[in-house]
Amino acid sequence: MNLQFTDIHFRRRKTVVVNPKVCAGCRTCEVICSLTHEGCIDIEKSRIRIKSNSFTGTFHPQICHQCSDVPCFYACPESAIQIEESSGFAIIKEEKCTGCMACEKACPFKVIGYAEDRKKAIKCDLCKGFPECVKWCPVSALGVADFGGENPR
Amino acid sequence: MKDGWGFTGKILRVDLTERRSWTESMEEYAKRFIGGIGLGYKIFWDDVGAEVGAYDPENRLVFAPGPLTGTLAPGSGRFEIVSKSPRSYPKETVTRSGMGGFWGPELKYAGYDALVVQGKSDEWVNLWISNDGVEFLSAKDYLGEDTFSTQIRLRKELDTRCQILCIGPAGERLSRLAVILSEMTFASGRSGFGAVMGAKRLKAIAVRGTNPLGVFDPQRLIEVSKKVRALSNQNTSRERTTLILNLKEREEFINKHRKKNTGCFGCPLLCFTHIDVPGVDACAAHCISYFYHPHATKFYGATLERDQAVAEAYSLANRYGLDTFEFWHMINFLRDLRDAGLLNQLGLDLDNIGRRGFVQKLLESITYRKGFGDLLAEGCARTADHIKNGWEFCAKYFPAYGSAAHGPIRKSPALALLWALDSRGPLVDQHSYIRLSISFPNETPPLTLPRERAESIAQRFLGSKLAIDHSTFESKAEAVIQTQDHSAVIDILVLCDWLFPCFHSFATEDRLGDLSLESQLLSAVTGHPWSEKELNRAGERVWNLARAIMIREGRTREQDTIHGIFFREDKGEKAVFQTALEQAKTEYYRLRGWDERSGWPTREKLEDLALFDVANDLKKEALLT
Repeated sequence: MNLQFTDIHFRRRKTVVVNPKVCAGCRTCEVICSLTHEGCIDIEKSRIRIKSNSFTGTFHPQICHQCSDVPCFYACPESAIQIEESSGFAIIKEEKCTGCMACEKACPFKVIGYAEDRKKAIKCDLCKGFPECVKWCPVSALGVADFGGENPR
Repeated sequence: MKDGWGFTGKILRVDLTERRSWTESMEEYAKRFIGGIGLGYKIFWDDVGAEVGAYDPENRLVFAPGPLTGTLAPGSGRFEIVSKSPRSYPKETVTRSGMGGFWGPELKYAGYDALVVQGKSDEWVNLWISNDGVEFLSAKDYLGEDTFSTQIRLRKELDTRCQILCIGPAGERLSRLAVILSEMTFASGRSGFGAVMGAKRLKAIAVRGTNPLGVFDPQRLIEVSKKVRALSNQNTSRERTTLILNLKEREEFINKHRKKNTGCFGCPLLCFTHIDVPGVDACAAHCISYFYHPHATKFYGATLERDQAVAEAYSLANRYGLDTFEFWHMINFLRDLRDAGLLNQLGLDLDNIGRRGFVQKLLESITYRKGFGDLLAEGCARTADHIKNGWEFCAKYFPAYGSAAHGPIRKSPALALLWALDSRGPLVDQHSYIRLSISFPNETPPLTLPRERAESIAQRFLGSKLAIDHSTFESKAEAVIQTQDHSAVIDILVLCDWLFPCFHSFATEDRLGDLSLESQLLSAVTGHPWSEKELNRAGERVWNLARAIMIREGRTREQDTIHGIFFREDKGEKAVFQTALEQAKTEYYRLRGWDERSGWPTREKLEDLALFDVANDLKKEALLT
């Protein structure tokens, strides 16, 4: 891990983008996320959550933005959040995580969750670049965007 | 059954009289009846005698999701409610009514396979169910609140993510038209269970669960779910529920005001539409919600006032907690009575049916039981009893059991048979047969099912290609049995009947669907290797149990029928051939293994289905030949 500031901030990265306008609030994404990551249906540990207000018909999927300035990465005292050089994803390495949740406090979008049983922080890892939630969304409210392009150097 | 895979293993039981709750093991029930209506009917068989009325404290409300509820399985957001129905006519009988939404999955996540409510509270009460159990909260402040504000306030008070079932002012006043409603429009409507909640003085049930739900084989579940989604690709249900039979004007109305499509938990179909008409509160709606559309169109033409009246009608019905299905026919019924000069104005402005003010007045007077609304709140069937010659006008819209008509009975012998043999209006949970047999005359060509394809599918799944021939009663008994058993399977798992059973698919070359999907899903979730045949047998078992309950309530062969008006010709519409119906009934009883003369299940059949306890109980009451 010898990434420099510019490597991090201008890194090429993919992220899940959401279109709340068409999101139907069916929560298929929450189910498939927890099923693929946890092996059971555990909505509380889903890396994507839908903030719903069915009375106004507003449904807003909340998921890691893979920020360019990665506040969670800087906040982690254990260096448990790493940026994969190949993909540019900021990913929580659970073996290093102590569950202090400094990352959650630093997260501007509040999309880092906490696995209570094993006392670890959890967040979207983009399913190795092909997110299941995007594949399963019945209305295409989720998509994958490629940001950053070439490194400036 | 193994706890943790699909099942949580616990049933939550609540007694409102004593304000106590306890849990019960699911295992005994799950072995034979799996869940959903199977569990509900079994609880009624064990706990509730035939003499208990819908409003009695001894009546139960069984809220029963199934092993698939809350999993990835498409269309698994539903759960079933079983109770003694106040709507059933002429007398209150045990029946079922399901609903979609998010409440069922949430109950599973809270750690319960079902909730059974009994007793009657002294004061109005809300139930608050979480991982830790049940709390009884005072509902005094919530009295008189409409369904929307009840939920909004409760969410603020308890948990923003909780899911709520509640009744509106109509349910509080024991209207037989009252629904149990969740969110804006998910409702258990056909059986008037809102009034049962009202009689128990139970205003709302809020649930929030955060427990994990185990799945035996996640990879397999994912594979099968993908297959279901692929087969239901181009499933026309979304268009059919939002647009109803592709009526041009309704399509325009919806396209003009649609905000987005929404749906139940984990569903790829999303058959509800969020509609925002200027000047009316936004509301979600689907098929039967547009009950006022024909009348308003006649009155206003295609104008904004029309759209407002339509939206106001379903929005108000949902807020008051009234069943829109009943109104679909009630307004026609009132119009016919007016035209025949049998009703005076009754304070309802009957000359202006179609006007926004009319429907407001109608819904309000029914909800608050003002004037003639007091009688209408008992349902159209009971209203017809109070009007001279009332049934001459009512029967057309309410063919049996006080249930609102659905599907052209006169045109389809199989429908007549389905109606005659159920405890409520059979369609709604037996859609698939209708989808196949009517095979979409209105659809655009690529989505129509060619006759010969439909016939080969009928041959394969319903016993004979004559099953979809509407000119004869021949082979209908077999088709009806298949349909009922499949529909029971759907209702015990619990899945959505728009997606299952998958008789046909527009995604396959030969349009052939796949009826083994349900058993594949169930095997993947529970780990027990279910075969299609075994699961169908479970469906048959539940249907036999339902029949046993009907028999215990006094149902006879003579009562297995539709209203006499259908045996006569009416305005050029042909009559149902009564002798042929009777013959088909005899064939049906024979194929079911029941007694042909009485319509009672036989000991051999019940024991064959491992219903020894049911057979013994029936014998004790001398209801077994």
